[in-house]
Amino acid sequence: MKLKNIILSALIVLGFASFGTVANAKCGKLVIAEQNWASAELMANVDKIILEKGYGCEVELIPGSTMPTFTSMNDKGTPDMNPEQWANAVYEPLKVAVSEKRIVVANKAPITGLGEGWWITPATVEKHPEIKGMTALEILEHPEWFPDKEDPSKGAFVGCPAGWGCQLANANLFEAFEMEKKGWKLIDPGSAAGLDGTISKASDSGNTWLGYYWNPTSMVGKYGLIPVDFGVPFAGRDNWDNCIMKPAGECTNPKKTAWTKSEVNSLITASFVKNGGKDAVKYVEKRTYPGDVMNGMLVYMADNQAKGSDAAVEFLKKHESLWSKWVSSSAKKKIKAGL
Amino acid sequence: MEFFTKFPGMERSALAELRKGIDFAFRDFSKSYGDGIEAFFDPLLFFLVRLEKLLNSTPWPIIILIICGLAWIGSRNWKLVAGAAVAFFLIGYFGMWKDCMATLAIITVCVIICMVVGIPVGVLMARSDRTEKAILPVLDMMQTIPSFVYLIPILMLLGIGKVPGLIAICIYAVPPIIRLTNLGIREVDKETIEACEAFGATKLQKLKTVQIPLALPTVFAGVNQTIMMALAMVVIASMIGVKGLGVPILRAVMNQYLALGLFNGLAIVAIAIIFDRVAQEYGRRIQKHRGFKR
Repeated sequence: MKLKNIILSALIVLGFASFGTVANAKCGKLVIAEQNWASAELMANVDKIILEKGYGCEVELIPGSTMPTFTSMNDKGTPDMNPEQWANAVYEPLKVAVSEKRIVVANKAPITGLGEGWWITPATVEKHPEIKGMTALEILEHPEWFPDKEDPSKGAFVGCPAGWGCQLANANLFEAFEMEKKGWKLIDPGSAAGLDGTISKASDSGNTWLGYYWNPTSMVGKYGLIPVDFGVPFAGRDNWDNCIMKPAGECTNPKKTAWTKSEVNSLITASFVKNGGKDAVKYVEKRTYPGDVMNGMLVYMADNQAKGSDAAVEFLKKHESLWSKWVSSSAKKKIKAGL
Repeated sequence: MEFFTKFPGMERSALAELRKGIDFAFRDFSKSYGDGIEAFFDPLLFFLVRLEKLLNSTPWPIIILIICGLAWIGSRNWKLVAGAAVAFFLIGYFGMWKDCMATLAIITVCVIICMVVGIPVGVLMARSDRTEKAILPVLDMMQTIPSFVYLIPILMLLGIGKVPGLIAICIYAVPPIIRLTNLGIREVDKETIEACEAFGATKLQKLKTVQIPLALPTVFAGVNQTIMMALAMVVIASMIGVKGLGVPILRAVMNQYLALGLFNGLAIVAIAIIFDRVAQEYGRRIQKHRGFKR
């Protein structure tokens, strides 16, 4: 009887113990979105190396972009993780997905010091020194400072490439600030390369430039872009979510507003929580890139034309004190050995 | 052993230096000459902007009438004229008129440039085997190199807008007209040439009165191909800020708007089919006129 009890309890304990270790150590196959801009590439590749080397996951990176990646995560549950989801673009559907427990916001601020908005180049200030300290409201009275190449009688405002979440916002703000009446033209740069091209072209040839951009980026670091204050306060979530972020036809009466506070999240799906295990989730929750470190990495990537995978290795080598705080000490050893 | 398993490639850092070197050299080049090159293309930009404004400010019934008129002159075929009218009416009805006019403007200018550049180059190629051998690989490259590759230097040099878009389209669309002009002239009957030489025709006379007229159907096929390829490039051109039917398609691809993509894609197809049928009918007519049979 006694013996039986001992064997039974031993079996139970053993079973629990082995179950426990399985749940902790085993990390399955994960798919991470590698979105098509530098900071997202870097984060996806750092996550890949850390999760693979440190936690024994099998990570596959798939290309992505703000809207398609979110749609796919929301509808199909794949990829399992988006390291850098710009939350404003998907504010409403994300709320629904989180309440239905399909998507978990694992990290509310993986990068600090970021922001979207309107910027000018330093060359603009050189040409028109009075612009210094002006708000957007005041700058918009001077379309003649930013002549458009194709129609010099109009001022060029460079918006967002077609299909990006910010394209709708810029188009509606263009309405809200009555820019057409004031003599402005909204330029669609067509692609990320087009948008960057307008900035570097304007900076290199000393021309003026006003348009949409965001931080942290190598462009902001490299060309010293200057953020423009909107001159009006943020006019509330209702105006932003139900009007500014909607397609042009659905937003009939947009109000003047500052850009909404940018929020970047690291999103994971329910299956990441299941397949990745507790430790992997804990890592995602902990990792935070300070803005200046991120900008430094982005300039490194641009200057050396480094791919995300190269930059990730560089980051892990250069900023060990930073990432070692994100992971357990055993994982840290394994990652260091794997580099 | 390692020699066989690992390709003896250039060292990683040296390769990075090489790539950076090329980039910086081109950046310097575009910094010092970009404005000059841009100024060179200014007349073209002026023409493009004017044409688009003209197309957009002309009342739509007149545009449809002109298109039908051109279709009639080209094809002398009532069915085709009616088809063109219906297609353009539908494009306008579904709210794509403005984009369609922008696309028409850039495609028209592009085809004109391609003809002005392409036909003389084709003639030169036909006259000398050496020229042909030199130009053929260039044409191969222009047709196969992924267009994104030459978008980068064009972007660095000229920024975004109509002119860089036009150049990108022309690079892709000009080869067929060069190839087919060359082919058409080379295929002109040897005996006909001999006969006109026997009558003492000069080289210019030979070209003007015999070779080009006889090669015309083939040249026309080239123009046709050029139009098709230019239309195919509309979406890529919109990636560097060219307005037109490509922009909504790009938006549709990024956001998975099925209907928007389909409508605008079909509008491009409609324009392509009208251009193609009219040009083909025209080609067939001038051949019939000369007593050829297909």
